[in-house]
Amino acid sequence: MNSMNDERFFDLAMKIIARQATDAERTELEALLARHPDLRAEFERLQADVRVAKEALPLVDATQATAGELPAYARGRLQTKVRQTLGRPAVEEKPDRPLAWGWRWVLGLAATAVVVLFVALPMFRPPGAPVIELAMLDVAGETRGWKTNEVALLQRTWAKARMNSFTKPELLQAWETNWLAKADAVKVIYDRNAAEVRVIGRWNGKTFQNSFPVEADLAAALARAQAFVQEQTRN
Amino acid sequence: MSAPDLNALQTGDADAWNAAFDWLWPTVFAVAQLKLQPYLPNEAEDVAIEALEELVEKVRAVNSVEELKPLAASIAHHRAVSLLRERFAKKRGEGKTESLDAPTTDGGNPHDPPSSDSPPSDLEQRELAQRLSQSLAELKPPLGEILSDFFLHGLRYEEIAKKRGVAVGSVGVYLKRGLDAMRRIWEREENS
Repeated sequence: MNSMNDERFFDLAMKIIARQATDAERTELEALLARHPDLRAEFERLQADVRVAKEALPLVDATQATAGELPAYARGRLQTKVRQTLGRPAVEEKPDRPLAWGWRWVLGLAATAVVVLFVALPMFRPPGAPVIELAMLDVAGETRGWKTNEVALLQRTWAKARMNSFTKPELLQAWETNWLAKADAVKVIYDRNAAEVRVIGRWNGKTFQNSFPVEADLAAALARAQAFVQEQTRN
Repeated sequence: MSAPDLNALQTGDADAWNAAFDWLWPTVFAVAQLKLQPYLPNEAEDVAIEALEELVEKVRAVNSVEELKPLAASIAHHRAVSLLRERFAKKRGEGKTESLDAPTTDGGNPHDPPSSDSPPSDLEQRELAQRLSQSLAELKPPLGEILSDFFLHGLRYEEIAKKRGVAVGSVGVYLKRGLDAMRRIWEREENS
């Protein structure tokens, strides 16, 4: 066939495959196939190509989508993932940060070190105040981290908190997933590796959560977390 | 919205990631919706968010910013397919009557993961991301649009010519070029 006939064959084939062909076009293609039987294989090939295209094109189109807005609630969760996975940018690392070597030693030994505050002071808490407990995950066992200013700062923020220690992430996880069974409680997690303080709680049947990045100042993040807890548990 | 700075993403820069999440969200959500809308429409948002989380884990292996959208799309696609398979398998296990073929009534995409039990491998994800990447590179406007007009939206040659501002006689040429590209990129090798 010459190139003109090639083009005509392709257009007719496309229209027939897409069910857009008129009776006349259908007849024309059948005549072409009768004159050139080798085109039948080409027609079948085009049918297969179209099937592949119809399956892949929606995914290609979706990949280029530009409409839609990230839900606000997802941003915090995603930023937490960024900090947990990639840590903070190097420029934010301050070598002269107080007790940095103590923490580096902790982090060197433990892939993940998470300080969890779960304050539970039922004896002392005033009526209507949330249950609070304090705990720490340290997969390297007890470390100097206990004695750092940062831990002291945590204990000062929740003054009467009792601190528990977990040495295995799965134990902490089990503990974390069980706590919701308790009524009206607040959990504050200081994740030093992710450089953030997370708050999760339930008060008067309402659940709440938030995270507070620790930029350069843990005290500021704890103050924001504390204010958030107070705001959420206000009667 | 412009593409984010890959170096900043790889070092965990929060602002860069904020911009990247906004930039990538339409892609991951559209891909998740594409698969889940008919069966589990309420899961599309969660799957899209999980896809972005997984992208964070993989970003250090990315070499250029152009890879981000295809990779995010690939992750979202595999997660959506895995979820569908998991849910439909569960329903079958409970004696419910939904067809197990439902998630793949489109004929079983050539880019779907082959296993119904195991999560998609990195290789499968990379392969799909690479195919998407190639498709985006080859189907430059108006080629991709003309393919979609004809094969997905059922427009006729004359309608496409008018819509895209091209000669009627060139619509077939575009379709042929596009189909050739799609065949090269998406057709599975018989012996692979």
